Amino acid sequence: MSFFGFDTTLPRDRQQQRGSRGMFEQHDPFAGLSRDGGGDEDEVLNFDDTYDGLGQRLQESGDTFNDDTFGGDEPVTRQSLGRDFDFAGQTATARGNVMHEQGVPLQQHQQQQHQPSSYSMPSRPARTGYEAYKQPDYLPKLEADASIWGAGIGKKAATAPQEQQASPDSSAARKMMSLEEVEAMMRAQSQPTPPVQENDRQAQGLRDMLGVGSPAPQQMPPHEQQQQRPVQILQRPQHQEPPMQDQSLRAPQILQRQSSPQPPRPQSQHFHNQPPRGQFQQQQQTPQGAPAVQPPRGAPQHQRGPSYNGPPITQAQQMMQMSDDERQTYMAEEAKRAKRNHKIFLLSKNNGLMTPQDKNFITRIQLQQLLTATGGIDNEPGSEEQLAEDFYYQVYAQIRGGPRNGPGQPLNQFAQTYLFQTGSRYGYGRSRHHPRGGDNHVQRMEQQVARAVEAAKARPKNKQLVMEGSLGKIAFSNSKTPRPLLNLKRPDSESRIRQIARAAIFDRKAALRDIERVYSCLMRLEDHERKLPAPPNEDSPPDVIEGHMRWRSDMQELNQQLWEAMKVMEPIQQNPTTPHPFIQILAHSKGKKVIPRVFRHLDDNQRLTMLTLIAIHLDIVDVIRDAYPPAHNAPLPPKVKEEVEIFSQAVMPPLFSYVNEAPLNIIIGLLGLVLDRVHVPFILRTKIGVSILTMLVSRAELVKQSQQSSPQNTEDWNQWSTLYTRLFDNIEPILPFIFPTDTNVSASDDVHVWQFLAAMGVGASPDQQQRLVLGVKERVMETVAVGRGLPEEMRERRLGEVNLFMRAIGLDVELLG
Amino acid sequence: MLFFSFFKTLVNHEVTVELKNDISIRGTLKSVDQYLNIKLDDISVVEELKYPHLSSVKNVFIRGSVVRYVHLPAAAVDTPLLEDATRREASQAATKAKQG
Repeated sequence: MSFFGFDTTLPRDRQQQRGSRGMFEQHDPFAGLSRDGGGDEDEVLNFDDTYDGLGQRLQESGDTFNDDTFGGDEPVTRQSLGRDFDFAGQTATARGNVMHEQGVPLQQHQQQQHQPSSYSMPSRPARTGYEAYKQPDYLPKLEADASIWGAGIGKKAATAPQEQQASPDSSAARKMMSLEEVEAMMRAQSQPTPPVQENDRQAQGLRDMLGVGSPAPQQMPPHEQQQQRPVQILQRPQHQEPPMQDQSLRAPQILQRQSSPQPPRPQSQHFHNQPPRGQFQQQQQTPQGAPAVQPPRGAPQHQRGPSYNGPPITQAQQMMQMSDDERQTYMAEEAKRAKRNHKIFLLSKNNGLMTPQDKNFITRIQLQQLLTATGGIDNEPGSEEQLAEDFYYQVYAQIRGGPRNGPGQPLNQFAQTYLFQTGSRYGYGRSRHHPRGGDNHVQRMEQQVARAVEAAKARPKNKQLVMEGSLGKIAFSNSKTPRPLLNLKRPDSESRIRQIARAAIFDRKAALRDIERVYSCLMRLEDHERKLPAPPNEDSPPDVIEGHMRWRSDMQELNQQLWEAMKVMEPIQQNPTTPHPFIQILAHSKGKKVIPRVFRHLDDNQRLTMLTLIAIHLDIVDVIRDAYPPAHNAPLPPKVKEEVEIFSQAVMPPLFSYVNEAPLNIIIGLLGLVLDRVHVPFILRTKIGVSILTMLVSRAELVKQSQQSSPQNTEDWNQWSTLYTRLFDNIEPILPFIFPTDTNVSASDDVHVWQFLAAMGVGASPDQQQRLVLGVKERVMETVAVGRGLPEEMRERRLGEVNLFMRAIGLDVELLG
Repeated sequence: MLFFSFFKTLVNHEVTVELKNDISIRGTLKSVDQYLNIKLDDISVVEELKYPHLSSVKNVFIRGSVVRYVHLPAAAVDTPLLEDATRREASQAATKAKQG
């Protein structure tokens, strides 16, 4: 077929075809039709396109008894039959002749269509060769011409024409069938029949055609119907093809088709002279008011409707005799029952769509996918793998309440619940009928799952396959271990050299790497801590005690690793070009955050060492070095403020808690180090510096107050007094400047300063107190004055802060009033 | 698995999922799977006027691959823990890379 639908076959080919052309020799009975239609440019639809040509492919060999069927025993001639149905053959021949005579190409020929001609070409599009069936007097004349089947015609001719010929015969049969026959036929369809013999089958097919196939095309206009029919007829035997073993499935199908709701339409003229057919139709249409799918027999779900409509009617008289209450309860129950029935009906609509085997098959696929999706990693709840894979969730769940039944239920549980569910369902539902079948499925599925789990475990964790002799690797992937796009393998030796080289140059990256090392040590330690075995007692078995011992020694080792990673013990250089490694670690916020976590695992000695190291390097700790108030009262950069905040929240509390339990000599030692090594006026102008000094001084004062009566530490106390005086002398000149200057007095965040002054004031001699007051008098007056003008709440706070100091030296803000 | 693990802890929290087609859907996270497919309940579209066809939708299943961002409830995120989990993931990846 060419683009415009012209026939591109060359004339010479056409003539060759013509040579052996019989009545139905044409491959496509409608080819001629479409060929003409294609010439008309308005004609868009080609029948060729809609006709699938199934008829040509049909393998039909059982034509031996055609003579019996079509009355071949009576010699019938073409003349008696009439040739008026042979339009296709006739016109094709005629056209072939014309073309041959005129010698014109087909395209030109087709444009000549409108010319008056003696052959029936112009009317051809409307005619299909079946028009004759419309004539009421045609049918009696119908007799098959045996000669058209065989002589001089090839195999193809035997197949297609036969089917077409079947159509008139079916009409004949239709006319002849009585109501009883129709019923008998329906019964035959809906009952299991043994495989029919070849010739019987064909006859059956024809009858089938009548009962089953007719209603559908009836909805079409007659003309279309006629075009459609051969196709339909040709399809019919395909339905017939499978031996009718599955009757239960087949019956509803047929029945649905029969009773498919169709508007009662005036029967076409075509059927007027077929009374039995009409009767049949009416019979078919009677159940239209009923549910759309109403099988005459069988299918239980459809009978449910009427069955529950029935009882209320029969019980109507009984109901009359009931009391109101009874009736109401009865009605309620009835309604409930009806509702339930309806629900069951709705649910049962899809009953039996899948066999148990189907379901099991799908379940197994799903389970297998579950296993492969997790990469075969066996996630025992609480196991190492589980924790490694799902650390955040597991720990989070522990921290914030018990583990939920989330979507990430461990796989094995998942599989178990799943299996249990299906298993129980089968156990319940099927045990009545097939007690063994259900169990068998579940068992098989369990085995399957077990095997799948085994296979997944056996699979190498490393998802790669190196084929021998190949240049590359094949990487497998799943959602947990995605296929690596890059697979770089670093030579180990080189990287080690580089690491050593880097370690020499202490830079930011090295510090960050140190911090990460601390974290990984810390996490190993914490993991180990979680595995703490139950504490052994005297009568626990030796292996338990041994396990505990091993745990403790491991703990010691990990602790040592952590301590080394902290780099506290790195030698202190006298004139360092770079800060101490530990101070470098402290310079990063994540380094600060690690301190409280590490501190828990350190022993007293280590804690003191750490504190000492901080005390020595107090002026180069970033939160003091960078937090020195800039000139012109500019505020600190936000980043520095943030770091200061983190330091006071993360690092100070553990240090404070340690100092709070430290004996006096340690405080003396620490303060002495600070005074010796650090420029005190410098650190006094920073929040952290002030806080640390407050921490030391206040602890000393507390110890002093609690041990007032015990004179055994006179040595220490003398030492402390000396240190205190040194400190006081150091701070006195800068007392007016120790308050933060970045904001005005009213908004100033200076509580830490008042705390420091209070701590100093408590331990001060009267003379020192006097000097203290002189130093900060201006600020006190200012703050009190400003505080008076503030709203109630803020005033309370501000005055309270000032009072910290005032009360320490035996005064009160009220006295200033 | 870090993100899977992380999103599991957000179940029953309200999140806003921004899709690659610019639709933002706020709703209660009902479940998430290893592909980070997301099930949301009680959803509302942030720009309701722009996407009226979603105004009657009550819950959605979102394929993980079409998600651009998930806006998290800050209170439900344990940052230090998440940092640790990230470290673990990284160290695991590193050991795997060494093996490979």
